[in-house]
Amino acid sequence: MNGLFDSLANASGADAYIGIFRYAAPILAGLILLRCCLPLLTFRREPEIWAWLYFRDGKKVPITHWENVIGRSRSCDIQINHPAVSRNHAVLTRYDDGSWTITDAHSKGGVRVNGKRVSIRALQPEDVMMIGGIEMGLVPISQRQEQKLAQLRTQAGSGLGNLFNLVLLTLLQFMACMAFLLGGNPDHFIPILQGFGGLAICQWLLFLFYVVIDRSSFDVETIAFFLCTMGMSAIATVDPSETLKQLIAMIIGIVLFLTIGWSMRDLERAKIFRYIASVAGVLFLVITLLFGKEYYGAKNWLIIGGMSLQPSELSKVCFVYAGAATMDRIMNKRNIILFIAYSVLICGCLALMNDFGTALIFFFAFLIIAYLRSGSVGTIGLACTALGYAGVIALKIAPHALRRFSAWRHIWEDPLNLGYQQTRALMCIAAGGLLGLGPGRGYLRRVFAADSDIAFATISEEWGLIVAVMMVVCVVVLGLFAIRTARVARSSFYTIGACTAASILLIQTILNCLGTLDILPFTGVTFPFLSNGGTSMIGAWGLLAFVKAADTRQNASFAVRLRKNDHVEESEVVR
Amino acid sequence: MNRVTRRVWLMLVFIAILVGGMGFFIFEYATKSDQWVVFNGSPHVYADERTAEGVFVDREGQTLLDTRDGRTYADDALVRQATLHWVGDRKGNISAPAVSYYLKEMVGYDPVDGVYAPGGADGEVELTISSYVQTVALEAMNGRKGTVAVYNYKTGEILCAVTTPTFDPNDVPDIAGDTTDTYKGVYLNRFVQSTYIPGSIFKIVTTAAALDCVDGIEDMTFECKKTYEFGVDKVTCERAHGKLNLKGAMANSCNCCYAQIAQLVGRENMMHYVELFGITAPVSFDGITTATGNYDVADAAPVELAWSCIGQYTDQINPCRFMTFMGAIASGGTGAEPYLVSRVTVGDEVTYQAQPVSTQPLISQQQADILQEYMRNNVTAVYGDRNFPGLTVCAKSGTSQLGGGEKSNAMFAGFVADEAYPLAFIVVVENGGYGSSTCVPILKEVLAACKSVMDEA
Repeated sequence: MNGLFDSLANASGADAYIGIFRYAAPILAGLILLRCCLPLLTFRREPEIWAWLYFRDGKKVPITHWENVIGRSRSCDIQINHPAVSRNHAVLTRYDDGSWTITDAHSKGGVRVNGKRVSIRALQPEDVMMIGGIEMGLVPISQRQEQKLAQLRTQAGSGLGNLFNLVLLTLLQFMACMAFLLGGNPDHFIPILQGFGGLAICQWLLFLFYVVIDRSSFDVETIAFFLCTMGMSAIATVDPSETLKQLIAMIIGIVLFLTIGWSMRDLERAKIFRYIASVAGVLFLVITLLFGKEYYGAKNWLIIGGMSLQPSELSKVCFVYAGAATMDRIMNKRNIILFIAYSVLICGCLALMNDFGTALIFFFAFLIIAYLRSGSVGTIGLACTALGYAGVIALKIAPHALRRFSAWRHIWEDPLNLGYQQTRALMCIAAGGLLGLGPGRGYLRRVFAADSDIAFATISEEWGLIVAVMMVVCVVVLGLFAIRTARVARSSFYTIGACTAASILLIQTILNCLGTLDILPFTGVTFPFLSNGGTSMIGAWGLLAFVKAADTRQNASFAVRLRKNDHVEESEVVR
Repeated sequence: MNRVTRRVWLMLVFIAILVGGMGFFIFEYATKSDQWVVFNGSPHVYADERTAEGVFVDREGQTLLDTRDGRTYADDALVRQATLHWVGDRKGNISAPAVSYYLKEMVGYDPVDGVYAPGGADGEVELTISSYVQTVALEAMNGRKGTVAVYNYKTGEILCAVTTPTFDPNDVPDIAGDTTDTYKGVYLNRFVQSTYIPGSIFKIVTTAAALDCVDGIEDMTFECKKTYEFGVDKVTCERAHGKLNLKGAMANSCNCCYAQIAQLVGRENMMHYVELFGITAPVSFDGITTATGNYDVADAAPVELAWSCIGQYTDQINPCRFMTFMGAIASGGTGAEPYLVSRVTVGDEVTYQAQPVSTQPLISQQQADILQEYMRNNVTAVYGDRNFPGLTVCAKSGTSQLGGGEKSNAMFAGFVADEAYPLAFIVVVENGGYGSSTCVPILKEVLAACKSVMDEA
C-alpha cells in the first residue's frame, strides 16, 4: 500500500494528468448536470384526477388536488358563481386512505350534508352536500380508474438513465481523487480515499435502495451528490483530516432525508411529525442558548463529545415542517397567527444568539411561508419593514456584522484586514480562470474558512469558474423544480414545504456566493451540501426531503406512496 | 390549492437575485479579473511583494535577476551594480516598476486559463539593455554620480542606461550611516527619476525654435563682446567670440549670441516650442513614468528669458526625455519612444512583445537636417571626431551652473547619424565640470561598446 502511495506521489504524469483533467472535469460535470437538470425542468405536468363533483344540472367537475377550496372567488379550485356562496366557502380534502372530508371555511351560509349543517364531516358515498343552496355529490374515481390513470402517466426518469448518471458521477469522483493522489502528499491519501470512496458507496447504496422500492427518479439526489463531491474536494484540499467527519455527517443527512420523506408519505403522519418538529426546532435553539459556545461573535455552537454542532441548521428543517400546512388549516386565520407567534419565538432565540446570517435565512423562510399561506402582499410589506428595523438594531448591537457591512463593495480598500478573505477569493478565482488549476493546487486553501464560507472560490480556483457556476446552477434548478411541481402538488402541505425548503437552499446560496464575491455583504452562511460543516450537511439533506416529497411524478419519489396496487393489473389479468 | 400554487412565484424573486447576482459577477469577472489577479499580494502572481516568479535577462540572455527562489542576482558583481536600478534591490528601496509591470504576462494570465501554465513554466522577461554596455558605462563613470544612456532611435530599445551611485545588492553597504555623500540619492534611478539644469545642451531646443520661427536666422550674424547687457543685468561668455552665425554660435556655445537669438524668438514662442517638442513632458514606458521637467518664462525678465534659452534660469530636463528628443532630431523629426522590456515569454509562449512606438512629429525634416549639420559640426570642430571611430556622432555639450559654489554639472547629448547605428544618447555627470571634457571620454567608451554589441548582432 505504502509503495503504491509513494509511486503515486512521485508520479511524473501528474502535470499531464491535470492538463487533461482541466478540460475533462467541466465536460463531465456539465454532462451530468444536463442529464439531471433537464428532466426536472421539462417534465410534463400531468394533473391527476382524484374525484368528480356532480351538480344537480348534470355538470361534473374534475377534482385535481387532494385539497380543494370551494367558493365564489376566482382563485378557488372549484368556483361556484352564486351570490349565496361565500368567497371561500368550504374545503374538500382527500386523505391518504382515499376517504374525503368537507370542512366549512367559516362561511356565512354554512355547509350542509344530507340536509344537516356541519363544520367538518367525512363524506360517505351517496352523501349530498349543499353549499349556498347548491346541491352536489362527490364521486371518487374507482380503483380501476386509478390504475388506468397511473399507467397512462409518464414514468419519471428511467433506471438506466439514472444508472448512467451515477456512473458518470462516480467517474468524476474517481478523477478528482486521482488529481489529489498524483503528486500529492501520501499522508493525506487515506482520508482522501475514505472521503471520495465513502461518498461513492453512499450514492450507490441509496440508488440500490431506490431500485428495491421501485422508484425511478434519482435526478435530485444526483445533483445533491454532485455538490457533496465538490464539498469533499474542498475539504480534501483544505484539511483532508476532516473528510471522514463530513462523510459521517452526509450519511446522517441521508438518513434524515429518508426519515422526513417517509414521515411525509402519509399526511396524517406528517401532521404528527409537524408538532414534534415544531417543538424540536425551538428546543435546539434553547439548548444552544443555554449550553452553546460563542465563536466569531455568534453563540451558535454546541460542543458535544469533541464534536462541534450548529443546531440552528437543524432548526431550519424543523421550521419548514412547522410552516407547512394543509389547505383546511390555511383557511383558518387562527393558525397563521399561531405560526407568526412561533416565528417570533424562533427569532427571539436567534437574536439572543447574535447569529445574524441564520436569522436572515429564517426571516426569508418566514416570508415565503407567510405569503404562501396568506397570499397577502401587505403581510410581506409589514414583515420587510420589521426586518428593516430589526436589521438596524442588529447592526447597532453587533459590531461584528457592522464591520462586515462597512467593507461591502470596498474590499479592495482594505485588502489585508476586513476585505482579506474576499480579496484573496477574487484573486484566486481570477488565477483559476475558467478551467481551474487542478484539485489541490490552489492557494486559497490556506485562507480561513476556505472550505466553508468561501468554498465557492476554492472550487472556482481549483476546478475553474465553469464548474463553480454549475454548482449555483444546481441550486437554481432545485428551486425551479419546486416551482414546477407546485402546480401538480396534491396538498399545500407539500407545496409549502418544498418551496420553503428550496427557498432556504436558494437564500443560503445567495448569501454564501454573492457574499464571497462581494456582490452582497459577507455573512458567513454555508453553501448547501458544499460547505464543510456537519450540521449544515445534515440540514441540507433534511431540506431536500421536502423538495422530494412534492415530486408527484409517477414512481418518482420515495416520499410519495405509489397508488394502491399499481401493479395489480397484470396479476388480475393472469387471474 | 390553486391559490397556493399561484403564490409560488415569490420564489422566482430569490432565483432572480441569485441568477442576476451571478450574472453581475460574471460581468465583473470579464472586465476586472485581470486587475484582481495582479492586485498587490495576489498569491499566484507575486513571488515577493514586487514581482512574479521568473527570470529577468538582458538582451544577450544573461540573467540579471531570478525570482523563482527569493531574489538571485547576476553572478558578476559589476553587472549587479550596473543593472541594479532596473531590477531593484531586495528591500524594495529602489523603485523598479518594470519588474512588476508585466506580472500578468510573466504568469501567462488569460481569463480562460487563469495563471495555469503546463508543467509550471515560469516567465522570462527580456530587457533591451546590454549588461556588457552597462558595465562599460559604470566603469567609465568611475565613481562619479550621474547617468549614461543610449537608445536606438529607430526601434526604441534602451541599450544602456546606467545610473550612479549604485551598490551591489549581494553586498549592501551601510547607506544609512554614510556621511561622505558617497551614496547620496543612491536609491534614485537618475535616468528616469531625476531632473537636471540642462545648461548649453538646451541650446539645441532654442536653435530648433529659432529655425522654425525666425525667418533667415541661418544667414544672420551675431556679435559676442564677452558680455551682452540687459540694463543692469547681463549675459556673459568666458571670452569674446566675435562675429558668429547660428552654426558658429552653437559650435562655440556662445551665450551672448543666444541672448540675442532669445530676443528674436521671444517669450511666447519659446514656451510654445518647448511644449511642442515635449521637452518637459514625462516619458512613459513599461510602467515607468519619468520625472517632469520645467520651463517657465511667463514672468521672466528679458535677461532671465535669455538665460532660459541658454539652459539656465529655472530650466529642468529629465535625461530620458531629452535623449528621446535627440532621437527625434536624428530620425528627421519623428523618433521612437524608448522602452526597456522587449518581450515576455512563458515556456514557449510569447505573452508580450514590445512594438516600436513613434513620437509625435516634433520638428520638420528640413530643420532636423540643419540641426544635424550643426551638431555634426560641433563634433568635428570642437569635441573631436577621432574619439568616435567608425561613428558619425552629432552632439552638444553643456556645463550647467548650479550656483552656491557647487561645481557645474557636465552634460552631453546627441546621436549617431549612421544608418547602421541609430543611437541617441545623453551623459550627465553631476559636478563633473566642463561638459565636453568630462563626458566625451565616457561616451567614447560607451558608444564603442554599443557599436561592438550591434556589430555582433
